[in-house]
Amino acid sequence: MQAILILLKKDFALLLRDKVSIMITFAVPFAMIYLFGLIFNVNSKDAGPTGIPFAVVNQSDNPASKTLIDALRAEKTFRVVTDVNVDEKTTRPLTEEDLRPLMRADRFRFALVIPRDLVRTDAIGLHLKTYSNPRNEIESQMVTGILQRTLFSSVPELLGQSLQARARSAIGSVRIDRFNGVIASAVAREFGGDEAAIRERISNGNFGFDRIDRATTGTGASSRGIRDALSNVVKIDNVQVAGNDVVSPAATLLVGGWAIQFLLFAVTASATALFREKEHGIFQRLLSAPVRRSDILWSKFLYGICLGLIQLVTLFCAGQILYKIDVASHLPLLAVVCVFAAAACTSFGMLIAAISPTPESARGLSTFVIMLMSAIGGAWFPVSFMPEFIQKLSRLTLVYWSMEGFSQVLWSHASLAELMPTLGYLTLTTVLIMGISVWRFTKGRIFE
Amino acid sequence: MKRFGALTALDGVTLDIAPGEFFGLLGPNGAGKSTFMSLISGLRPLDAGTLNVDGDGVSAGSAQARQALGLVPQHIALYSDLSAERNLRIFGELYGLRGQRLRERVNILLEAVQLADRRTDLVKEFSGGMQRRLNLAAALLHEPRLLLCDEPTVGVDPQSRNAIFDFLKELNRGGLTVIYSTHYMEEATRLCSRIGIIDHGKILASGTIDELLSRLPFEEEIRYPSTPETGALSGELAGFGELSTLEGVTRFRPKPGYPLSSFYSVTERHSLPPRLFTSQRPTLEALFLQLTGRMLRE
Repeated sequence: MQAILILLKKDFALLLRDKVSIMITFAVPFAMIYLFGLIFNVNSKDAGPTGIPFAVVNQSDNPASKTLIDALRAEKTFRVVTDVNVDEKTTRPLTEEDLRPLMRADRFRFALVIPRDLVRTDAIGLHLKTYSNPRNEIESQMVTGILQRTLFSSVPELLGQSLQARARSAIGSVRIDRFNGVIASAVAREFGGDEAAIRERISNGNFGFDRIDRATTGTGASSRGIRDALSNVVKIDNVQVAGNDVVSPAATLLVGGWAIQFLLFAVTASATALFREKEHGIFQRLLSAPVRRSDILWSKFLYGICLGLIQLVTLFCAGQILYKIDVASHLPLLAVVCVFAAAACTSFGMLIAAISPTPESARGLSTFVIMLMSAIGGAWFPVSFMPEFIQKLSRLTLVYWSMEGFSQVLWSHASLAELMPTLGYLTLTTVLIMGISVWRFTKGRIFE
Repeated sequence: MKRFGALTALDGVTLDIAPGEFFGLLGPNGAGKSTFMSLISGLRPLDAGTLNVDGDGVSAGSAQARQALGLVPQHIALYSDLSAERNLRIFGELYGLRGQRLRERVNILLEAVQLADRRTDLVKEFSGGMQRRLNLAAALLHEPRLLLCDEPTVGVDPQSRNAIFDFLKELNRGGLTVIYSTHYMEEATRLCSRIGIIDHGKILASGTIDELLSRLPFEEEIRYPSTPETGALSGELAGFGELSTLEGVTRFRPKPGYPLSSFYSVTERHSLPPRLFTSQRPTLEALFLQLTGRMLRE
């Protein structure tokens, strides 16, 4: 028993001296728990994602369209975008023609067009048009659900107007006004109230349907029936701007996210092998030969890129076999993105090796940063599910931009020109991080 | 001169090593041997002074100097997950060897270090001695004119050590200049035609073994256990030479001209049996002790 206690004490003493183990044991899971709590809004009254950019083009002069836009603005899930920048200082209202290019550029993935014929006169009901770039299925389903809920809460008023308009065109203004007057008189007589005010409300399509709003948000059979009835009178034309022929957008994200995460682990392990080579005296042998320090660093960098290219393409090919991701048709551009993503990931690995004093600390630091970057970069969950400040942070991660590149190629079938901003960001990241890494390597003592 | 922060690793070192020499750098751990080697091989820059390799005007670290020298690091600087042959090919290619020439050099060196029949085996499967031999071979692929051996036999079994010594001697006889750092006096004595004794970053003495030993003010060293029985003997000998006691052993180094017969007369008078006493010619160990007041292995 005494031997067990002595050995137990020894293990704790070793643990306390091992800062990396302590970090992996406590700090990494703590950060993950905190992040997951933010993502899933644990202990928050306002559950669900917030601030998803949602474009609205209003072509209708119907006052109810403003009501609809206000309802969308009030929905915290959405950040309603109605204007587009002309230059740095001036903006103009979005038009339907703006939507496709902006959606392909991922400025927003969902848009609602309120057409001139919002309130239909040829039939009873409403007409709306949505544009979507549903590259993330979970996000799309959620946005569609919330959009429907918001629309249906505004439908009753619009539906009343539609009824009035249809009746006016079918039987003429004189007869519908007379009909409204009879109804208003009967309501005033039976239930009380000002007959003129009631007639005015009926003429404006206000039949008091707003009282069924509460029912539409319920879960019972009757409320489902009402929702179904409303959906039958709301005609929504949906235009999908990208990915029409993609079998599984979820698979694209799944493979891309996990591939980039494990690439980060692989290239970081490769970069931290510099420590092992130093310990084995290999740098001494190499540097006494006609080999420069920079030759060693650049060979590692190029190795990381090659490794990354092979790993990413292999995993995407596996995705083609498993999930029918169409890799073959987009292989050249996918390979380009893979090279740039691999370069960025390798530079990250080199930075970890450059700033870490020991291989153990490099492993601990890389585990922490890679998991954090993968989580907030969108490798595990859609970025739009995260709090807005994390969404902003995610755009600083190379995981986000790598996945963006994969998605652009495999989902949006982007051209090389359309990929340029993403590739530019990855290049900038690579240059910046490699610059710091090389500076640290030359200042540090890893080669001595 | 070479400094690491406040620590002066090498200071005032002046050495001239001629082509074809087998020069030994003898000193304890931390004396500055590896720093000296790293300066010659161009791994670190000098803070002050000049260091020429392969003739005047060829400064250490230059392309010409790198091509002229081969380094055998203290560690097994090999890729342990690759085969012996693959390792040699990699290091040969770094020196610009290609094709038939590379194959020839790899074959010659694998034969020379007796690893030809294990050429395809992974280095990590080799014994320590085999790895050391391959470590040496990797420095010789490009036929350097100067070979730097930084304690190349650390942890090697006697058989492999002898094989390495024989190989190095043979290379040296063929005209290769060798600079060999070690803290083993026996290695330096056995191998080197000239030796520099280094401690705390300074060369304390250099020359052939005879030249170095001639610096000692005695020609013989007599050792006996330091006990109460021998205490009186030591007191009597004090005036006839140098006495020092380390680790329970007293060393008596008589002044030149002091007859050994006088010494043994004194021991008889004190009734001390002859088996207590050993007599030997002074060694580099004694010189190091004389110069520093410490043993080499301390």
